[in-house]
Amino acid sequence: MSAENLRFAPGVRLRRENERVAFLLVPEGVVELSPSAAAIAELIDGEHTLDSIAQTLAERFDAPAGTLHADVAEFCESLRERGHVIAG
Amino acid sequence: MTAPRPLSLLCELTYRCNLQCPYCYNPLNLAAYRDELDAASWRRVVGEAADLGVLQVHVSGGEPTLAADSALAVVEAAAGTGLYTNLITQGTFLDDTLIDRFVGAGLDHVQISIQAPEAELADRIAGTRVHEQKLEAIDRVMRRNVAFTLNCVLHRANHDRLEATIALAERLGVRRLELANTQFYGWAYKNRAWLMPTRDQVRHGDAVVAEARERLRGKMEIVYVLPDYFEELPKPCMHGWGNAFMTVTPNGTVLPCPAAAAITTLRFENVRERSLQYIWESSESFTAYRGTAWMPEPCQSCERRDIDFGGCRCQAFAVLGDAGLTDPACAKSPNHGAMLDAVAAAPATEFSPRRIIATR
Repeated sequence: MSAENLRFAPGVRLRRENERVAFLLVPEGVVELSPSAAAIAELIDGEHTLDSIAQTLAERFDAPAGTLHADVAEFCESLRERGHVIAG
Repeated sequence: MTAPRPLSLLCELTYRCNLQCPYCYNPLNLAAYRDELDAASWRRVVGEAADLGVLQVHVSGGEPTLAADSALAVVEAAAGTGLYTNLITQGTFLDDTLIDRFVGAGLDHVQISIQAPEAELADRIAGTRVHEQKLEAIDRVMRRNVAFTLNCVLHRANHDRLEATIALAERLGVRRLELANTQFYGWAYKNRAWLMPTRDQVRHGDAVVAEARERLRGKMEIVYVLPDYFEELPKPCMHGWGNAFMTVTPNGTVLPCPAAAAITTLRFENVRERSLQYIWESSESFTAYRGTAWMPEPCQSCERRDIDFGGCRCQAFAVLGDAGLTDPACAKSPNHGAMLDAVAAAPATEFSPRRIIATR
């Protein structure tokens, strides 16, 4: 899925309350996101691919792109498994 | 302990329903809830819940569209402050006008339930001819800009139709399918011996769902609610009592779990008399089993006590008569045999249709 743009499935919404607190609102419940998960989720907007999310965050946090890419991939895949994120 | 932030509110607007499904979790004494909150009161309840931090509002019943003014009021009030709204309906009153009003009010998600994949069996379970109407309502919802989940509650009479249920969902182009094994509360507990699936059905069902999930990956998400009488571990009911979830019933009674009214040893407060904040933070019913201090053994020393929260208080009360005991669904419970006995018990040949019976 790395070449395709990622977006939230219908019925899935991100809600940010402040810098530390964010939630994913999904049909069956509310998922609290860690600050790093929220930073990834904010870039799941239909405009970014897996690679460009990792690249954007690597630049923003001045972090090594390799480890960050693995974290982004793992988080996005877990959301895709649950049907919250779709590609294309 | 201090009260955590509630995240979800379930609004049960009415217990009236034109269907008579024997697996309904609503209480048996439906007639006691006829004095329903009006639309203005529901708006107030939603406002108080939002102030407490609630982010998601589920609209259900009974059949919530039989209280359409209240249902629309809840969706408007919740969506107006950015909350997520979910309509849980059997769909038989969802015509073009009504679904347009809900979508216009900002509804995020609709769940429609079917009883079985074919009309004959579905209508026998519902006690009335509604299957074709439901398929029309599903089509109406899917043609609109709102997320949709198809739901089917599983039990002995329809478990063998699981493949056909999944095939129907595929044919309809459904993106999200919930297959929920019956939870035995209210009418479902009364009809437990008729509804209880066999071990072979549950085993077969697990395999069917696993195969379908693999085959439909990326096309359809299948949410599978496990049959907890057949499990070794209890479900993490409500993610803990008074921890994230509250239910307001048609007459304004507030419950920590939708099935909790059956617990006769607790006294539940009403939004007509108390603020939602008081009820959530300080009432006897919400604090009774909040956190872990109340837990008996084997929960108290269990490494999973913060994962499954001792299971379900309503199930402990229904099966054992004491809401403060470990959920007997847990294999560590000294009373787990009560669940195995219920699974092994002879099936009933008839069920009691869910009906509102006036008492007194």
